Amino acid sequence: MISISVYYFGAISLILIGLYAVLVKKNLLKMLIGLSIMETGVNLLLISVGYISGRSAPILSEGIGPTQAVDPIPQALVLTAIVIGVATTAMALSVAIIIYEKYGTLNVEEIRRLRG
Amino acid sequence: MNEQYAALIIAVPLISAFFVPVIKAISKKAVMPFLLLVTILQMGIAGWVFSEVYTSGKPIIVMAGGWRPPVGINLYIGHFAALFVLIIAVISFFTAYFSMKAVKVEPLDKYAMLFLLLMLGATGMIATGDIFNLFVFMEITAITAYALTAYNKTGEAAEASMKYMILGGVGSSFFLIGIALIYGATGTLNMAQLAQLAGSINPTVAQVGLALLIFGLAVEAELFPLNAWAPDAYQAAPHPITVMFSAFVVKAGLYAAARLLYLMQAVSTWGSVLKLLVIMAVLTVVVAEFSALRQRDVKRMIAYSSISQVGMIAFALALGSQAGVDAGVFHMVNHAIVKALLFLGVGYVGVKLGGTKLEDFEGLGRRMPLTAFAITVGSLSAVGIPLFNIFWSKVRIMLAGVSAGYTWGVALILGASVVEAVYYLRLIHRIWFAGEGERLSESFALGAIMLLLVALILVIGFYPNYAWSLAQKAGADIFDVTKYIGNVPLMGVGA
Repeated sequence: MISISVYYFGAISLILIGLYAVLVKKNLLKMLIGLSIMETGVNLLLISVGYISGRSAPILSEGIGPTQAVDPIPQALVLTAIVIGVATTAMALSVAIIIYEKYGTLNVEEIRRLRG
Repeated sequence: MNEQYAALIIAVPLISAFFVPVIKAISKKAVMPFLLLVTILQMGIAGWVFSEVYTSGKPIIVMAGGWRPPVGINLYIGHFAALFVLIIAVISFFTAYFSMKAVKVEPLDKYAMLFLLLMLGATGMIATGDIFNLFVFMEITAITAYALTAYNKTGEAAEASMKYMILGGVGSSFFLIGIALIYGATGTLNMAQLAQLAGSINPTVAQVGLALLIFGLAVEAELFPLNAWAPDAYQAAPHPITVMFSAFVVKAGLYAAARLLYLMQAVSTWGSVLKLLVIMAVLTVVVAEFSALRQRDVKRMIAYSSISQVGMIAFALALGSQAGVDAGVFHMVNHAIVKALLFLGVGYVGVKLGGTKLEDFEGLGRRMPLTAFAITVGSLSAVGIPLFNIFWSKVRIMLAGVSAGYTWGVALILGASVVEAVYYLRLIHRIWFAGEGERLSESFALGAIMLLLVALILVIGFYPNYAWSLAQKAGADIFDVTKYIGNVPLMGVGA
């Protein structure tokens, strides 16, 4: 049996890796990938919060009642969060296309027409 | 009429947004009038909700699907939410009309759809009674705001939108981590039940969770250091959208932060989160005022001024006293009126003269006297001259700040206000005493809207008592958490 803290460490390291990419990388696409990794980490964290060791997915089926399932609420939250994440990523990528068309680069240090 | 109909403030904009493509298929010309019609309808519903809440003195609790909270998600339309839903609806109506004049870039149907969703998101953030629901509405607001910022399809617009998106993405991730911590500690997402349980959770977890939630909301609420996107987005977005950003999108973020903050006041480490927020707020004011001073673009300058006022509101809300919250809410109302007027005026100048550089404003007093007059009144009010509305709320914030023991914060904010006076007076000087120009024709209806807002500024300036009593009721709604818990008919589970 794996201890639950493994999931927490995994989730938090994913969040930190994502944050690192957003803060340090110069390429816009890499920043957006970092953002996605961060979102995945957060989703994993939410799932781990509701995880109870040894129980099954919260789907009502034969032999699995409310007492044998993990907490369903975080799973519902994560479903919503995934959808929102997809929408944000799609939006960001389409804006990145416009930026590439107008500036001819994806380097954030060169995309600086708005200053002050 | 049944109170549950108040759910229409969410339902009407949402359904209408999805009807926009249908309207477009019938006639392309009908899209913008349809938008105007929906905002009028929304104004009617919001007006009914407002009168219902303020005459009965009791909040409206809308229960989704008839399930009692915390099993069902509820809307909580108290004094604050009722007031601000009305403000959102009225400002949306003005901006919808302004959009018909100002927005020429296609596709207009997408614009109308995003406009309605932005209105819906801000309304939902203010009305909801559940923290995950708050997250969903925050993301609706944020994603539509990203799209609307990029709407003009210029390089600048895309750049501003991208900055907003990256900060917003990081902010929303932090917000979700905060939700995960708080849910893990309490097992609930309902705000009223959360407030009940707040005293019993581990103070460190509560402190970190609350700080993460506030940090996530600080992107929407434009607090330093997460507000780098704001001036760019304000400058690059279509003119009517800037009005909406400044008048209510930022207010929704501020309100959500204040609501979560006061819900958790039973936590023993609560004071340290307040201090953090006070420091962020004062830094917001100071940094924004000094940045505003060196702007050559008027729209960007007023954007910085808006951010500094927002910092002042956050300062008042973070004082942790009844007087501070009341003053903050009063300032929110005044700021919504003044900044709506200023951005309408400046946006109209941008539409008519093709730019919002400081040079474009030379001789405006001769070219567009009505707009020039409106911008002048708005500027004088924003500076805080006595007998204009912002004077009263600024004075109350300062008094509350001193009595809460933050004299250094008050001193810094007052110093920054002097800077504000400098750049507004420079603008007024350019408008009336520099340059020449031919008289241009001004739209009658837009002039009427601007004069209405000017009249509101002056009425509140001369007779602040009625508006102040509204703000006090709304402030008590945020501050008095025991009453908040008592108003929500919780099912007896968990607690």
